Amino acid sequence: MTAYLVAVGIVALIYMLLTIGLNLQYGYTGLINFGVVAFFAIGAYTAALLTLAGWSLAPAFVVAMVAAGLLAYPIGLLSLRLSDDYLAVVTLGFSEVVRLVIQQERWLTNGVQGLPGIPRIFQTLGIGEYAELATLAVLVLCNLAAIAVMLHLVRSPYGRLIQAIRDDEVAVEAIGKDPRRLKVQVFMLGSGLAGLAGAFYAHFITYLSPDQFLPLVTFYVWIAMIIGGTGRTSGAAVGSLILMVFLEGSRFARDWIPGVSEVQMASVRLALVGLALILFTIYRPQGMMGRRQ
Amino acid sequence: MTLVDFCNLLINGTIEGLLIALPALALTLVMGVARFPNAATGDYMTVSAYAGIGVQALGATSIVVAGLGAIAAGAAISVVFYLWVFRALRGRPPVASLVAAIGVAFFSRSMLTLFVGHDQQTFNMPLVRAWNFGGVRLLPTDLYVAAIALIAMALLFALLHLTPIGRQMRAIADNPDLARACGIRSGRVLLALWAVVGALCALGGMMFGIKAVVSPELGWELLIPAFAAMILGGIGSPLGAVAGGVLLGIASELSVPFVGPSYKIAVAFALLLLVLLLRPRGLFGKAIAAR
Amino acid sequence: MLLEISDVRGGYGGADILHGVALEVGEREIVTIAGTNGAGKSTLAKAVIGLLPKVSGRIAFDGRDLAGQQVEDRIAAGLAYVPQVANVFPSLTVLENLKVVPNVRDAAARIAAQLDAFPALKQRLRQRAATLSGGERQMLAFARALLTGPRLVVLDEPTAALAPALVRQVFDLVLQLPAQGVAVLMVEQRARQALAISDRGCILDQGRVVLAGPAAGLLADDRMAQLYLGGAH
Repeated sequence: MTAYLVAVGIVALIYMLLTIGLNLQYGYTGLINFGVVAFFAIGAYTAALLTLAGWSLAPAFVVAMVAAGLLAYPIGLLSLRLSDDYLAVVTLGFSEVVRLVIQQERWLTNGVQGLPGIPRIFQTLGIGEYAELATLAVLVLCNLAAIAVMLHLVRSPYGRLIQAIRDDEVAVEAIGKDPRRLKVQVFMLGSGLAGLAGAFYAHFITYLSPDQFLPLVTFYVWIAMIIGGTGRTSGAAVGSLILMVFLEGSRFARDWIPGVSEVQMASVRLALVGLALILFTIYRPQGMMGRRQ
Repeated sequence: MTLVDFCNLLINGTIEGLLIALPALALTLVMGVARFPNAATGDYMTVSAYAGIGVQALGATSIVVAGLGAIAAGAAISVVFYLWVFRALRGRPPVASLVAAIGVAFFSRSMLTLFVGHDQQTFNMPLVRAWNFGGVRLLPTDLYVAAIALIAMALLFALLHLTPIGRQMRAIADNPDLARACGIRSGRVLLALWAVVGALCALGGMMFGIKAVVSPELGWELLIPAFAAMILGGIGSPLGAVAGGVLLGIASELSVPFVGPSYKIAVAFALLLLVLLLRPRGLFGKAIAAR
Repeated sequence: MLLEISDVRGGYGGADILHGVALEVGEREIVTIAGTNGAGKSTLAKAVIGLLPKVSGRIAFDGRDLAGQQVEDRIAAGLAYVPQVANVFPSLTVLENLKVVPNVRDAAARIAAQLDAFPALKQRLRQRAATLSGGERQMLAFARALLTGPRLVVLDEPTAALAPALVRQVFDLVLQLPAQGVAVLMVEQRARQALAISDRGCILDQGRVVLAGPAAGLLADDRMAQLYLGGAH
């Protein structure tokens, strides 16, 4: 039971990293990233390929984070020339292309067969079961660090500027700051966090294949952010927790309701995600506990 | 590439492009009037194609009857989600409708897979042999679907330009407040618009289903190409959507000998990026894509 | 009175722009709303026609309270509106701009009559309205507004961005409206010229009516002329 809770905790914390990244991009700057899963995948594959090639974990994780952040750079630049909803479609398309590349370039990613045998985090320490607990602890620290960075950003003059971009870009330009550079930086930072989350994911699940990176994952993160309340620091934690309860709950529900296949359950999950996206945007755009404006 | 290969790719590309133009038209109509990219467009296609399959499964042998069933289903699902979701979100920023559209896409696809399953389906079509003109091959089926797509477009243009409700749609697209101030009641017009959008998606879904197979991912995989076609032609311009679709179809077919058939979506995406960067208003559009 | 406005407040959702405006327009009357920039003139016009998101107070047309009535209902009740800038549908042709108006009795005959009144439009029936000059657009907007046979037309700065020669022409058009049974509520920057053709006028300042009365009286009031009408001419 403890092992199970730890495992669930780890996945929840991975989603939380993703949610913090998205919250930074959308909640604070209004950048609509519908391609979160692309940066997640890039981080996961980068780290996995490096550790499989014999790198140790820490540098591989850093490279994964940087790689995801750097790949966000051209898209961030593009976002400056597009209005919000176009950025959404472009990032969605980007995430599908990334998945396609992972599927097709077998020489690198082993295609649909996937990458097995990715080393576990702290496997080499020889601490057995405690390795997962340690992973959990490291993830907690990473999340705290991400929140600290975010709070710092939000409260600094830089952060007020970021929020001002969301509310009024022209005004920011008028006070002589370049909102465009800030936007790109925030986009890269959020994507770097997604890359780091990917690295953790790869070394927790230990197996990667392209169908783990469907657009659905992006919208899991969106749901977590929307439920928690966009632009709220505590929102990411609450949202990812609720998301986890839902995802895990749906797994248990299948054990209780006889005659439901895993495929059908997947449909139900997709239906509920869709329904949540619809209902929250109509009835509670400010999130579950939010009160905004 | 020989000339014969080139001709074959050109023909295939044109036909694919005419079909892509159908969802691209649906996207551009919604973009012009309701002003958000309707990410549920692809899944409207999928649901309608399955409805067509369902009509055939009920015993209708005629593909025309199946097509009418698909159109009815497409119009119905589009109108229902307008009434339930998108009407409630009018006046809110486009991102609200966009996120909700993703929800609509997931919800409708999941309802489909829950009750119909994930199996691929095919339409019962008489098997026909391709005509061969010295190596240049032409499938009669392809010709039919292309002709139907063209007829549908002609009907749409007639609706938009020759009927009062079509004029009112264009007026609302131009300036919604002024349209109200002329006494145009947008409720009725928008209902008609969403029904037309659903019918276009249904035709697109049917035609792609006839050309290949019907699967739950059918429409979702066409969303990015349809979007690329719309941007290429210029947002809000129906004529542009058709031209953009054909250009995109030809471009992605011609890329096949170089990048292989699996990278078609990537080619569409690359084209989309290129247009957004170099000419955001597309070939025929007004300048609304760029800031 | 045809139009009675009392204690109207409201704005676009943020702070109120109108702070209790009262105004009346009688049958076949021309009433001008003048005032400085940002006084709330256009906002008041929008409140009358129903395009203002937030509005309270009483606006009655022909004795019936318009509260809760949508723009479309007000048009059907006999109001018409010509907005300031975007006053035609640019991608529709001139003819389509007229044909698009719904619920016009004897539409063909009425359109023909309007086109006779504006011969300049008649030669451009198949052109997109986007290709028209500012003056031609204003004529098209007038023609379109009059199609429904309104009893009151609300004009939002009809002469904005027009060449001086055309200004005269537009005011001449306005002056002919009462004879056709149409009353006019007109927001105007060119207050002197507008008041000169008006029966009555009112001057708005920061969302309040600071002066109202017969147009001639307003024009003669020296102090007001100094403050709001751009000095003596």
